[in-house]
Amino acid sequence: MTLVTLSNLLFLPPEERVGQVQTLYQWVSAGSFKLDLAILVDPLSVFMFLVVTGVGFVIHVYSVGYMHDDPEYSRFFAYLNLFIFSMLVLVAAADFFFLIVGWALVGLASYLLIGFWREKPSAVLAARKAFVMNVIGDVGMVIAALVIFESFGTLSFVDVFAAAPGMFRPNDDTILLITLLLLVGAFAKSAQLPLHTWLPDAMEGPTPVSALIHAATMVTAGVYLVARCHVLYELAPYTMYFIAGVGIITAIFAGSMAMVQYDIKRVIAYSTMSQLGYMFLAMGIGVYSLGMFHLMTHAFFKALLFMAAGSVIHSLDGEQDIRKMGGLQKVMPLTHLTFLIGALALAGFPLTSGYFSKEAIILSSYHAEMGNIVFWAIAVLAAGMTAFYIFRIYLCTFFGELRSPGAHPHESPMIMVVPLLILAALALLGGVLGPWVDSFLAPVFGHVVEHSHDAVLETIALVAGIGGIATAGLLYMVSKDRMDLVKEAMAPIYDLLFHKYYVDEIYDFLIVRPTKAIGAFMEQKVEREGLDFTVDQVGLQVKEVSHVISLWQSGKVRAYALNMIVGVVTILLFVVFM
Amino acid sequence: MGQEFVLLISASIFCVGAAGFIIRRNPLIMFMSVELMLNSVNFLLITYSSFLNSLDGQIFALFIMTVAAAEVVVGLAIILTIFRTRHDLDVDHIDMLKG
Amino acid sequence: MLEIATVFDFTHDMVILVVGLTAVLASLGVVLCSSPIYCALYLIGHMICLALLFLLYNAEFLAVVQIIVYAGAVMILFLFIIALLGGKKEVQENSLHRSMALAFVFTLLGELYLSATVGPTQQVHGEIPPELFGTAKAIGLELFSKHLVAFELASALLLVAAVGVICLAKFSFAPLRRRVR
Repeated sequence: MTLVTLSNLLFLPPEERVGQVQTLYQWVSAGSFKLDLAILVDPLSVFMFLVVTGVGFVIHVYSVGYMHDDPEYSRFFAYLNLFIFSMLVLVAAADFFFLIVGWALVGLASYLLIGFWREKPSAVLAARKAFVMNVIGDVGMVIAALVIFESFGTLSFVDVFAAAPGMFRPNDDTILLITLLLLVGAFAKSAQLPLHTWLPDAMEGPTPVSALIHAATMVTAGVYLVARCHVLYELAPYTMYFIAGVGIITAIFAGSMAMVQYDIKRVIAYSTMSQLGYMFLAMGIGVYSLGMFHLMTHAFFKALLFMAAGSVIHSLDGEQDIRKMGGLQKVMPLTHLTFLIGALALAGFPLTSGYFSKEAIILSSYHAEMGNIVFWAIAVLAAGMTAFYIFRIYLCTFFGELRSPGAHPHESPMIMVVPLLILAALALLGGVLGPWVDSFLAPVFGHVVEHSHDAVLETIALVAGIGGIATAGLLYMVSKDRMDLVKEAMAPIYDLLFHKYYVDEIYDFLIVRPTKAIGAFMEQKVEREGLDFTVDQVGLQVKEVSHVISLWQSGKVRAYALNMIVGVVTILLFVVFM
Repeated sequence: MGQEFVLLISASIFCVGAAGFIIRRNPLIMFMSVELMLNSVNFLLITYSSFLNSLDGQIFALFIMTVAAAEVVVGLAIILTIFRTRHDLDVDHIDMLKG
Repeated sequence: MLEIATVFDFTHDMVILVVGLTAVLASLGVVLCSSPIYCALYLIGHMICLALLFLLYNAEFLAVVQIIVYAGAVMILFLFIIALLGGKKEVQENSLHRSMALAFVFTLLGELYLSATVGPTQQVHGEIPPELFGTAKAIGLELFSKHLVAFELASALLLVAAVGVICLAKFSFAPLRRRVR
């Protein structure tokens, strides 16, 4: 806690240093391979520092209240700080090596945090799933780093980015390979298709963890990676299109799934995926600073939403199903207010922070050099969905009757509410930081994003958002019957969405079962009858032989002395007669 | 007297010491045998120091004596402790490190 | 007519011969006597012979040290311990171990003799030693200039040994559990 506060204070004054590498010491130097323990200080990393430590700090404060009764309170904070530390390593790394170190550490920390409630089998399974998915990404990263070292002879960001434009023509095979491999890591960490399945399950962790990892910091690592390596990506326009495509598809895919889920945290998790899709869209079309801006505002309002949801869950003694909530706006006025602000920001309601960042991305998806009308249309559709699902859970949670008899909801303690209020203020007003972010990050990305203005498109996007809110209102406020009608009318689609497009099942069928079959075969035939037998025999034989040899070790000093003399005699024989 | 004589005397004493160390079972006598071996080497160092007209050998012998004194003191204390716990001084009976 | 120097040299050599052989015999006595007390006495004799030899080879200081430290302190310690533990006679049995030990030791002796006499060893010849060679003064000068660090380390070693002995002797350890067979 103190640590995080300290780092907060340390990094709060925006440092105006650009592209400065601070080598702490040289770690490995073997031939041409050099590895320095260095941190890269430039606006991008300082920006990330601010987001990570800022949001992290608020979440720490919140956790003090949220985890207050947990018997393993200190373990939780140890993990939480390990997470913050690894995230800072990741962000501060000045070369790919330490990036991967941070990357893996973050994966580990998230594994520990998701599985924090280790007595819950589902939490352990979710943690394992997240870890496996992350490791898939790590492997991609490691291979990418190896390819980079092979072609550039260095792993340092500065050197690689300086050398890259001179070495490759656009869309060279190597650069495509590197960028795609890096993307595997980025997609795994940021839960983009097709490596997204861990994120919703990761909601098994404590809510502050969900807020910290799965909203504000860890999942943005992928976005950060793309932004950090934008020099490479600009050399590979195909990859850029790929990123934009995957981003936008994830945005709508996750948005559609979020519309039908009942678990409040799961909905927000899908929403996170969807918003990350927007960020990747921004990266893919080359408006990096908009993506980073959305990253920041998203960190604010998504952490806010998670923590407000956590506050609700807390007061309902762990109830996460929105069907059993309702009518909470009277008992939890502050939580209600902050959740509303978060929802508005997420939906992109005018003048909230989400409005500025998301609208800008949607607009750019049409106006930017690489944007087109398809991207724009899907983005608008996804925005409509976003508005719909967030207000769906908002209305279900805070309005109507309390549908959970026996629960005694109450407002959360101040230590949890104050962080909510801080974040609510940021989520509401964060939009004004937009131009500042643009200019602050400009030295890194080499250009200032031109904000295009297009009244028609803006209006359409806005209408989509408000339309989503209105639909939610109509369906969930006015009449419950209508909701069921709609549900029946669209039953097939509803099922498909509710089962998350059957992605888990497809993975199970395509990957998990064949692997299990192979595993069973390997276990029985190869391991038991092949390897184990050989290993056992080797062990047994060694044991036999050593038993014989151990007779030599009589424990008698004089016998040892005799052995010594024999040795001396033998050596002297050589000396004398050779 | 020639240098061969010195070498032969020294070698003889050393071998006698080595034999004593291996054959005897009383740890005290084994320690005495060690002293014999150390002394034979000291003797060689000192005579050759004289032959070579260099004091290094004598200094070396002095240090050997220091180490030997320390070793004897500790060794005797250990023997004493062993005797106190086992009431037996036959080294062949001390074989708890047997493999 | 024999030169006086030759006579002196001859006498010198004879003394060395006699004293050296006595030392070897004394060492044999150490190993062959069955009673520890006789062994200790032979060892003292051996030490004195060696001290004489040191003296004959221009090492006055070390000769004195040999007498004081070895024949004095160390041997007194041995005798104390023997007195304390009782000088029980040791029965020698003819065992494989014994014969192997003797065989190897004799081989070792043969090898050493061979290497001393017929091997490629070279005779070394220094100049006549100066007046002060081997005196306490010369050793002291050498010790406190060239070998100061080693000297200090040796003192530390002695201190550690003293502490160790106090620990060993003062604190009694619980009897070790016998191995159950």
